[in-house]
Amino acid sequence: MLSWLDANTATLLNGFALAAVLFLVAVGLSLVFGTMNVLNLAHGAVSLTGAYIGVALLGQNAAASSFLVAVLAAAAIGLVIGVALAWLTSSVGDHLRQALLTLGIALIAGDVLAEVFGDDVESVPAPAGLDGTVVVLDDPYPVYRLVIIAISALIAGLLYVVLERTRIGAIVRATVADRTMVEAMGIRTSLVLGGVFGAGAALAAVGGLLAAPILGAQPGLDDTVLLLALVVVVIGGLGSLRGALVGAVLVGQVQTLGVSLLSEYASFLLFGGMALVLLVRPRGLLPAKIGSHA
Amino acid sequence: MFKRDVQRGHRAAGLVLTSVAAVLLASCGGGSLSEGGGGESGDNSGPVKIGLSVPVSGVYASLGEDMTQGFNLYLDENDGKLGGRDIEVVSADEGEGPETGVPATTKLVTQDQVSAVVGIVNSSVALGLQETFVQSEVPLIIANAGADDLTAEASPYIWRTSFTNGGVAAALGEAVAEDVGDGSVYLIAADYAAGEESVNGFKEAFEAAGGTVAGETYTPFGTTSDWQPYLSKIRSSGATAVYTFYAGAEAVNFVKQYSTFGLAEKTQLYGVGFLTEGGVLDAQGQAAVGTQTSLHYSDLLESDSNRRFVDAYQAAYDEVPTVYAVQAYDAAAALDAAIEGAESTDGAGIAEAMADVGEIDSPRGAWSFDENHNPDQPYYLREVQEGESGLGNVIVGKLTQ
Amino acid sequence: MSTGVQSPTSSTRSARVVPRVCFGAVVLLLAGLPLFLAPYPIGLAGRILAFGLLVVSVDLLTGVTGLPTLGQVAYFGVGAYTAGLVGIHATSSAAVQLVAGSAVAALVALVTGAVAVRTSGIVFLMVTLAIGELTHQLADSWSVVGASDGLAGIPFVSVLPGGAPLVLPGFLYWWVLAVFLLGMLGAWLVTTSPLGRSMRGVRDGEERLRALGQQTYPVKLMAYVVAGALAGAAGTAWTAQTRFISPGDIGFDIAAFALLSVVLGGAGTLWGPVVGAAVVILVRDWLATFLDGRGALMLGILFVVAVYALPRGVAGARWRTHRTRGSAT
Repeated sequence: MLSWLDANTATLLNGFALAAVLFLVAVGLSLVFGTMNVLNLAHGAVSLTGAYIGVALLGQNAAASSFLVAVLAAAAIGLVIGVALAWLTSSVGDHLRQALLTLGIALIAGDVLAEVFGDDVESVPAPAGLDGTVVVLDDPYPVYRLVIIAISALIAGLLYVVLERTRIGAIVRATVADRTMVEAMGIRTSLVLGGVFGAGAALAAVGGLLAAPILGAQPGLDDTVLLLALVVVVIGGLGSLRGALVGAVLVGQVQTLGVSLLSEYASFLLFGGMALVLLVRPRGLLPAKIGSHA
Repeated sequence: MFKRDVQRGHRAAGLVLTSVAAVLLASCGGGSLSEGGGGESGDNSGPVKIGLSVPVSGVYASLGEDMTQGFNLYLDENDGKLGGRDIEVVSADEGEGPETGVPATTKLVTQDQVSAVVGIVNSSVALGLQETFVQSEVPLIIANAGADDLTAEASPYIWRTSFTNGGVAAALGEAVAEDVGDGSVYLIAADYAAGEESVNGFKEAFEAAGGTVAGETYTPFGTTSDWQPYLSKIRSSGATAVYTFYAGAEAVNFVKQYSTFGLAEKTQLYGVGFLTEGGVLDAQGQAAVGTQTSLHYSDLLESDSNRRFVDAYQAAYDEVPTVYAVQAYDAAAALDAAIEGAESTDGAGIAEAMADVGEIDSPRGAWSFDENHNPDQPYYLREVQEGESGLGNVIVGKLTQ
Repeated sequence: MSTGVQSPTSSTRSARVVPRVCFGAVVLLLAGLPLFLAPYPIGLAGRILAFGLLVVSVDLLTGVTGLPTLGQVAYFGVGAYTAGLVGIHATSSAAVQLVAGSAVAALVALVTGAVAVRTSGIVFLMVTLAIGELTHQLADSWSVVGASDGLAGIPFVSVLPGGAPLVLPGFLYWWVLAVFLLGMLGAWLVTTSPLGRSMRGVRDGEERLRALGQQTYPVKLMAYVVAGALAGAAGTAWTAQTRFISPGDIGFDIAAFALLSVVLGGAGTLWGPVVGAAVVILVRDWLATFLDGRGALMLGILFVVAVYALPRGVAGARWRTHRTRGSAT
C-alpha cells in the first residue's frame, strides 16, 4: 500500500490540484443553477477571460505582488461579467432560451479574446518564489500546485462559513430551496441572484487565472473547462457547495489517477463515470435540498 | 401578445426563406446536373486561379498565417506572377478539422474553379480531400499535412512540399542510437495517426541501428493536460532518453511539465521539430532549452539562400520565418516551375507539369520531388539554445543527406 | 402539418389549406434547385437538409416530448458511419445504406434510451450529453471507423439496384431531398398519431398523465427510438453527399447547435427547427467565408439577437414547462 502511494503521490496531488481549479470554476455554475435554474454556458468563457487577464498583466517573470494584483483584477472583472449576465438572463423566461443566450455570449467572447490575444497558446508564469519544487516522498513536486490546493481549500472554507453562518448565506440557501417563498417574505431575490451570479463568475475568473500557469491560455480552452465544470456540477449535485467540492475532487482524480491507472480507457472514464453516477443518483451525490418546485 | 409573437415569427420565417432563396440564386451558376469543369479551360492570357486553403481560425491559425505569409512572399518577389502568368489567389479557411476543412477546400474546386490548391495543415483534412482532387483532376500541393498514407501510392494530383511523419522521425533513429549507446529510449506520443506514424518511423530506424526501447505509451489526443503519471512511468523505466511526438498546445504543456517535474536534466528529450517550432517555443520558454529535434528547416540555418529568405521575410512581416512558411514558399516555387512548363493552365495541365519541376532552390537547401511526390530533402539535428535574440533552434548536425 | 395555434379570425378549413399550399410550394422550390444552382450551393443546400432532419429529431424529443437532448448527434453519427462502412465494404446502394443506418441507429437508441429516459429535465440533458460525448470519443479512437482521421473514400451511392452511381451533385441532392421528405413525413405521422398525443402529454404534465393511468416510460422510449432512427437516416443522407464522415462532425458543438436550432426555429413545430437549422448552417458555412473565419462570432450574435427578437422562435410555437404554465409570458 505504501509503495503504491509512493509511486502515485504526484498523481494524487495533481488530482487535487486539478480539483482545486475545477472547484473554483464549478461552484459558481452550481449555485447559479441552483438559485435561478439558469444553465450558464458562458461560464467557460469567464474562466478563460481570467486566464487571459493573467497573460495581459504578467510578463515572463511575475513577482508575487503583481500576481496578486492580477487575481484581484480577475475577481473584479468576473464580478462585473456575472452581474451583467444575471441582468441579461433575467429578462428571458425560458431555460432553453437562456442557454441559447449564454451560448451566444460565449461564442462572441471566445472570438473577441482570440482577436485580442491571438490564436497561439499563451503561457503564464507561476509567481516568482512559488515556481520551484519541493520534495514530497522522495520526488520533486511543483510548489505552485500545492499552493493552489491550499488557496482553494481556504476559499471553500470561507464559502462554507458565509453560506452556513451568515444571514446572506441563509438567504442564498433559502432561494435555492424555494425561491417564491423568499420573494413572499419581501426579499428582493433579483439582488440575491445578481450577487450569486457575480460571485460565481468572479470565482470562475480567479480559477481560470490560477490554472493558467498549468493549463495555459488558448482558444478552445473555454469549451474544455465548461464541459468539465458541467460534469462536476452534475455529479456533485446542483446548487450545493459540498456537491461542487466532492464533484471536483472526483473529476480531478478521474482525470489524473484514473487516466494513469486505466490509460486505455482514458477518454471514456469521465463521461462513462458521470453517466453511471446519474443512473444511480439522478440528483447528484450531494444535491441541495429543493422545495416542491423541482 | 401571443398572436403577435406568432405573426412576428412567421414574418421572420418568410424573411429567412426569401433570403435563403436569394442567397442561393445569387450563387446561381447554371445548374448541377451536368459535368463541372476541372479548373480554368486553358485560356492562355487570363490570370490563373490558385486556391490557398489554410487554417484562418481555430488552434492551427498561427500555422496558417505563416503559410499564407510564405506563399505571398514568393508571389511578391515575382511581381504576383507564377510561371509568367498573373495569379489570382482564392483563400479558404481550413478551420480546425475535416468538418470545416473538407467543405471549405472542396468549394475552391467546385465553386471557384481553381487550377490548383496549396495548403492543408491537418492530415485528417488532407485524407478527406484526396478523392475529390483526384476525381476533379485538380492538383493538391500539400504544404504541411504529414500523414504517410497521403502519398503511399503516388497520384498525379497529390504533391507534397513538407514532410512525411515517418520520414522526419526516422531521420533521428541512427543519431539517437549512437548517442544513448547501451542505454534505452522511452517512446511517448499523442494517440492519433500522426503520433503513431512518428513513433513507428523512429522506432524502426532506431532499432535497426541497434537501439533498445525502454517502453512505449500513447496519451489521449487533445484532452491530456497532465503528463505527470506518464513522466513517472518514464522515470521508473530507467530510460536514458525520451523520444516524443506532440504538436501545438500539447507540445507546450508536455515540454513545460517535462522540465517542471525534473526530467529535463537527467533524460535527454528528442522529438521532431514541431515540438519546438514557432509560437510553441515562445510559450515553452526556458523549459525547452536542450531539447533536440529533427526537422528539414531552422531559421538559423547558415546558407546564402536561407539568409536571403530570412531577411526578406523579416522585412515583410517583422518576425522570424518558421518551417510552415518555407513549405508554402516552396509550394509557390514548385507551381512557378510547373506553370511555366505547362501546356495548359487547367488542373490536369498543371498536374502533368508538376512531374517535370526538377530541383527547387529552397531556403532549406535544394530538393526535388521523389517518386512518391514527397520532398527528397536533408534533415537537420537542431537543439534549443539561448542566443542573442532569444531562444532558437540551433543546427548542431545534419542527420541525412 | 403544424400543431400550431389557430387564428381566431379564420375558419378551420382555410387555416388548414394555407399551410398545405405553402408546404407544396416549398417542396417544389426545393426540388427545382438543381436546375439553376451551381454544385457548391447545391452541396450547401443538401447539408442543410441533412442537418435539418437531425434537428427535427432533436425537436421530436425536445419540443414535442419535453426532453431537451444533446445526444442525437450520437445516432446521427451511428447512421453516418454505418452507411459509410456499408458503402466501402458491402454495397453502394443508397436504399440499403439508408435502411442499415437507420436500423442500427434505432437499435443503439433503444439500448441507450432504455436507460436514459428513466431520467428527466436537466439530468436527462446531461445523460444525453454523456451519450453524445462517449460516441464521439469512440469514433475518435476506434480504428475500424478511421479514428481521428474519419472515414474517407466512401464510394458514390446509386439509387436504382445495379444502376449507375450518382456522381453529379444535382442528383445526389435529389436523393438527400427524398430522404429528408421521407423523414419529415415520418415525423409528422408520429406527431399526429396517438403516440404524438401522449408525447405532448408527457411534455405538458407527466404526473397528470400518470395519474390518469397512462404509462409514460414506454411513450418516452418509443419517442426516443423514433428520434434515433430519424437522426440515423439524417446521417446516411449526410454521408451519401459528403462521402466523408469524421468525429468532428459529431462533436459537442454540433449537438449544441442542433438543440439551439430547435429553440431558434420554434420548439414543437417541425418546420420551424428546419428553418433554424438552415440559418445556422448558412451563417456558419456561407456567411463566415466572407468574414475571414469569424463564423463563431456571427453565430453568437445571431443567437443573442434571436433570443430577444424572436421570443417564440421563428415558428412562434409555444414552449411550455410546468413552471411557466401560469406565467405572464
